[in-house]
Amino acid sequence: MGRTAARPLSWADLLTSLVLIALGTATLVEALRMPRFERFQVNPYTVPGLVPGALGVVIAIFGALMLARTLVAWRRGHAVPGAADGSEAGSAVRMFLTLLLTLGYGVGLVGRLDFAWATFAFVLAFLLVFQWTPALLEPARRAALARVVGFALLQAAIVAVSVTFVFERIFLVRLP
Amino acid sequence: MDGLTLFFQSIVSHANLSDLFSVAWATLLGIAVGMLPGLTATLGLALLTTLTFKLAADDAVMILICMYVGAIYGGSRSAILLNIPGTPANAATSLDGFPLARSGRAGEAMGIATAGSVLGTIVGMIMLAVFAPLLAEAALNFQSYEFFWLAVFGVVISGRLTGLIDPLKGWIAGFLGLLFAMVGQEGIYAYARFSYGHTDLAGGFGLLPVLVGVFGFAEVLWVMKNPAYQAVKDLAGSVIPRIGAVLRHWVTIIRSGVIGTFMGLIPGVGEDMGAWVSYAAARNTSRRKDEYGKGSIEGLMSAETGNSAAVPGAIIPVLTLAIPGSAPAAVLLAALFIHGVRPGPLIMIENPRFIYDVTAMILFASISILVFGLLLTKPMLMVLRVSHIRLMPIVFVLCTVGAFAITSRLFDVWVMLAFGVLGFGLRLLGFPMAPLVLGVVLGPILDINLRRGLVLSNGDLTPFFTRPISMALWITIAITFLFGSAWFTNGLKRLGRRIAGRRATP
Repeated sequence: MGRTAARPLSWADLLTSLVLIALGTATLVEALRMPRFERFQVNPYTVPGLVPGALGVVIAIFGALMLARTLVAWRRGHAVPGAADGSEAGSAVRMFLTLLLTLGYGVGLVGRLDFAWATFAFVLAFLLVFQWTPALLEPARRAALARVVGFALLQAAIVAVSVTFVFERIFLVRLP
Repeated sequence: MDGLTLFFQSIVSHANLSDLFSVAWATLLGIAVGMLPGLTATLGLALLTTLTFKLAADDAVMILICMYVGAIYGGSRSAILLNIPGTPANAATSLDGFPLARSGRAGEAMGIATAGSVLGTIVGMIMLAVFAPLLAEAALNFQSYEFFWLAVFGVVISGRLTGLIDPLKGWIAGFLGLLFAMVGQEGIYAYARFSYGHTDLAGGFGLLPVLVGVFGFAEVLWVMKNPAYQAVKDLAGSVIPRIGAVLRHWVTIIRSGVIGTFMGLIPGVGEDMGAWVSYAAARNTSRRKDEYGKGSIEGLMSAETGNSAAVPGAIIPVLTLAIPGSAPAAVLLAALFIHGVRPGPLIMIENPRFIYDVTAMILFASISILVFGLLLTKPMLMVLRVSHIRLMPIVFVLCTVGAFAITSRLFDVWVMLAFGVLGFGLRLLGFPMAPLVLGVVLGPILDINLRRGLVLSNGDLTPFFTRPISMALWITIAITFLFGSAWFTNGLKRLGRRIAGRRATP
């Protein structure tokens, strides 16, 4: 709870709190629109919207508390313990590439292509993308390039075949 | 005495070659999963649930328990050698394990971690055998009112203890989990909530796809975002600890074992808190506080005993209340339902042998980690040489298969992806994941028991507040909320200062 001269507003927490308030309110509205089965004279305490409505209210309240806390802390120059400040270490590029590849496999390939081929393509693409460096294109590094591509092909083939074999043949599990 | 007889019967019935073979491979696989940063115990259990769901219930449960015990132990290897906990449960292990390894005592550190894990598991196992039947008997008195509060209690306590820095985020994660559980058909009129005519949504979010997303896919994103870890250097020193050096810490072992089991028992809190609380308790009572964090054998022992004891601890509420004590235990609970085992208060009446079967399985798993820990430590370190770029695509393929295989719906793969991205985003924003998952498990329990309770009392809320166990639960929830709120604790501090100020100036 250290006091600092000018602490910037935690935008991440502010936006999260607004999303939570919106989510809670929308849930409450949807819960109120759920059927109450009056025609069947059901017990009013058993209507389907009761618990979702209550949860919507709780989430909206939590969102409001978070909003108030973020704004008060910003005005007073306090730090909120645990507030997200966007200073996480790591590479955003690597994260987005991973997202692109994994979502491409999960949404685009799986279910459309034979599982073994889809897996082969995904593992190969993943390895090539993350092991790629521009230096590999230099004429002097031909052997290194061949090694990277060769090992990637080999691993992709081994993963595709072994996962398919172990799940489908040994454990009799259906694959997408 | 009946319990002891049943326990011995369970040991004898599982002491055959085929069961022992399953114990060996599942524990070894668990250790490998635990060792690898990016593969958690929860994900390992979820994947093995998929693999074993065609096996007989007893065999599948045994394999899952061995994976669970093995993974929590295996995480200590990377915590000691790389300063990266293999699973979140081993974060406290790295505090003293890594400084020991850096000073050339890696072998000794791993020996101590092995001893701590085995002894912690055994303390937890004894407490499971003793307390699970008692808790099951007590839970026979639970009605809808108590189960409703128990669900709220689980989410609130889990949110508080896993969101130590910011309880509000822990609670939000927990209530979001409860909300996600509302999607799909509800249990009284089969009305499909939040489904909008979509048949897949009407089926609700499966627990396994959610878990694989939050603990598998999100972890893949996390590992890929962060810098690569270094390959392990060669291991120095013997990994076989001296018995005298272990027994010298018997008080720490028993205390950490009891604390670990208790932390495991609390819904959705689990092994990481088992380790942290045991570690804090050991440091507070130690005569050599200054050594903690710099390579204290006692600190390492307390962390590893604490997280391993939490494994049997987390299984206690799974068996007796059908409420998971930790995230991996939530997978175990789902697996029990898949295999037709009905955990809950009636377990000691319907299937009394089962608790002792599980106890025997934990015993086998702990003997197994002792053997592997002492014999195979050096060869197993090869696992840590695998680069994360080679490993992560395999993990993601397994996540996809794990999400799909139980119900064969592509929708479950999309659920896994959506919860993975959501989990990753929430983790970046500082929200803990355990309460979210617990919320998804407890949502249906909360929903049905609140409405059933209201029908039983004809809309009267009094029994929710006046029945003895309900009262204890809601008062604990209220206190947890109050003491987790900054305005309340700050107000108390101000009040304290004011009173002290008045006394000073009469």
